[in-house]
Amino acid sequence: MNFAERMLHIDRRIIFLVIGVCTLLPLLYPVGLAIKVSPEVRGVHDYIEALPEGSVFLLSMDYDPASKPELYPQAVALLRQAFRKNLRVIGMTLWLPGTGLADQVMTQVAREMGKVSGKDYVFLGWSPGSGSLIINMGQDLYKAFPTDYYGQPTRELAVLKGTQTLRDVNYVVSLAAGTSGIETWYVYGKDKYKFELGGGCTGVIAPGLYPLLRSGQINGLIGGLRGAAEYEVLIGQKERAVAGMDAQSATHFAIIVLVILCNVFYLLIRTSRKQGEAR
Amino acid sequence: MSFELLLGAWVATGLTLFIFTFLYQDNPLFKLAEHLYVGVSVGYTIVKDYDLLVRLIYEPMVKQGDWSLLIPLGIGTLMLARYIPKATWLSRIAFAFIVGVGSGLAIPRIISSFILKQVEDTVRPLVSIVQGGPTFTYNLLDPTSNLNTIVLLIGVVSVLFYFFFSIEHTGPVRVAARTGILFLMVAFGAAFGYTVMARMSLLIGRLSDLIEYADPQYGRASLWLGLATVAILLLWNVRQREQPPDKG
Repeated sequence: MNFAERMLHIDRRIIFLVIGVCTLLPLLYPVGLAIKVSPEVRGVHDYIEALPEGSVFLLSMDYDPASKPELYPQAVALLRQAFRKNLRVIGMTLWLPGTGLADQVMTQVAREMGKVSGKDYVFLGWSPGSGSLIINMGQDLYKAFPTDYYGQPTRELAVLKGTQTLRDVNYVVSLAAGTSGIETWYVYGKDKYKFELGGGCTGVIAPGLYPLLRSGQINGLIGGLRGAAEYEVLIGQKERAVAGMDAQSATHFAIIVLVILCNVFYLLIRTSRKQGEAR
Repeated sequence: MSFELLLGAWVATGLTLFIFTFLYQDNPLFKLAEHLYVGVSVGYTIVKDYDLLVRLIYEPMVKQGDWSLLIPLGIGTLMLARYIPKATWLSRIAFAFIVGVGSGLAIPRIISSFILKQVEDTVRPLVSIVQGGPTFTYNLLDPTSNLNTIVLLIGVVSVLFYFFFSIEHTGPVRVAARTGILFLMVAFGAAFGYTVMARMSLLIGRLSDLIEYADPQYGRASLWLGLATVAILLLWNVRQREQPPDKG
C-alpha cells in the first residue's frame, strides 16, 4: 500500500480530531475575520428598523434544543432590536420541545432590556395544530391562545391591546429548524392574512427557502450561524454568533483542504494503477 | 451562582462529553447519555401534553362551561380505539376527519404558495423596459437582473427535461438533460455546503458551552468531567481487552 492509499484509508477519528482542533483553536484565540452583511439578512433588519414604536412584532421560535446553536443567537439579536425599538413583542413556538427554550430566551432578553411581561411583551407558548393554529390566530388570537404561557388571560394583557387577529400584526418572523416553520407561516398565514413575513433558519433548510425569498414571499432570510453573526453586526452587539465565525471559517477551510487532498490521492492512485496496467 | 445553574452546567457538560465519546467508538457513556436523552424527551412531551389537556380542554369545560369542546374531544378519543381490536374501525372516523380537514386546508394553500407563486416568479421578462427603451442588466449578484432571469429559465427548462422520462434522452433532449444535471449538481453542492455549515455550527455551539463551563465560576466542569470521561474510557477499554471475545 503506497502513501496515497494509506491516506485514503486513514482512521476517520484522526479527521474528527483535525476538525475538533480547527474548531476549538479559533474559539480560544479569535482572529476577528471580517463579516459582510448579505442583503437577505439586511432585509429583516431594515424592516424591523422601519417599524414605528408600538408596532406588533410576532417572533415564532420554531425550533428545539438540537438547533439552539444556530437559532438562539438569531432570537437574541431579533429580540434585542425589537425591544430597543419599543415594539410590542409576541413570542410563541410551533415546536413543543422548544417551549422552554423559547421562554428562556424571551425572559432573558426582556429582563436585560428592562421589559415587563404582559405590558411590553407576551410569551404565548405552544399550542397544537401548526397550520390550523395559524388559521385560528388569523381568525381570533384570543381563542387560539386564551391564556399566555404563565396562565394569564390574553384578553387582559396590555401588550395585546388592539391586536385581535394576525391581520393586526405588523411583522412576523419565524425562526425555523424545519417544518413547521417559515413555510407553514407563509402557507397558512401570510398568504391569507397579508402580514409581512421574514425568516431565520438553520443552514440545512436555508437553500430550500431561497425560492421564497426571491419571489418576495418572505422579505428576508437569516441563514444559520452565519446569518446570526451578520445580524449581530447589524445591531452592533457582537456576541456568540460572531465569536463562532472564525471557527466556522477555519473548519470550512479544513474541509476544503481535506476534499482537495482526497481528490489528489485518488488521482495519484488511479494514475499509478494505469501505469501498472501499461507495464 | 445558584445551585440549579451550577448543576445544569455540570449535567450539560457531562452529557455533551459522553455523546462526543461516540466519535471514538460506541461505549457505555454514550449509551447512558443517549438513553437519558430519549427518556427526558418523552417525559417532557408527556408533561406538556398533559398540561395542554388541562389548559385547552379541562379548564374551559369545567371552569367556563364550554361543553362544545366535547365534540373535538370525542373525535380525538376515537383514535384510542385502535388499541381495542373489536373497535378499531372507530378510529377511522377520527382519521377520516383529520385527513379530510387537513387536505382541504392544505391543498389550495400549497398550490397557491408553492406552485402558482413560484411559476409567477419564474416567468419574468427577459428584457426590461426602462425609460421607454429596452435594457438588459448583466449583474449576476442581483437576483432580478435579466442575465439571472435567463440562467433561471435555462435551469428550470433543462431540469424539467432531465425529469422527463417519456422520451429517450438522445440528440437535443440529451443536451438539455445533461445541462439539467449540471444545475442539479450545483443545487446539491449548495445544499451540502449549507449542511456542512449547519453541522459545524452545532459543534461550535457545544464547544462554546464547554469553554464557558471550564470557567472557575462553574467549578471547571469541562476540565474535571473531561478528565473523568477519558479515565472511564481508558478503564472500559482495558476491561474490554481483558474479557474473552463473545463467541455467541
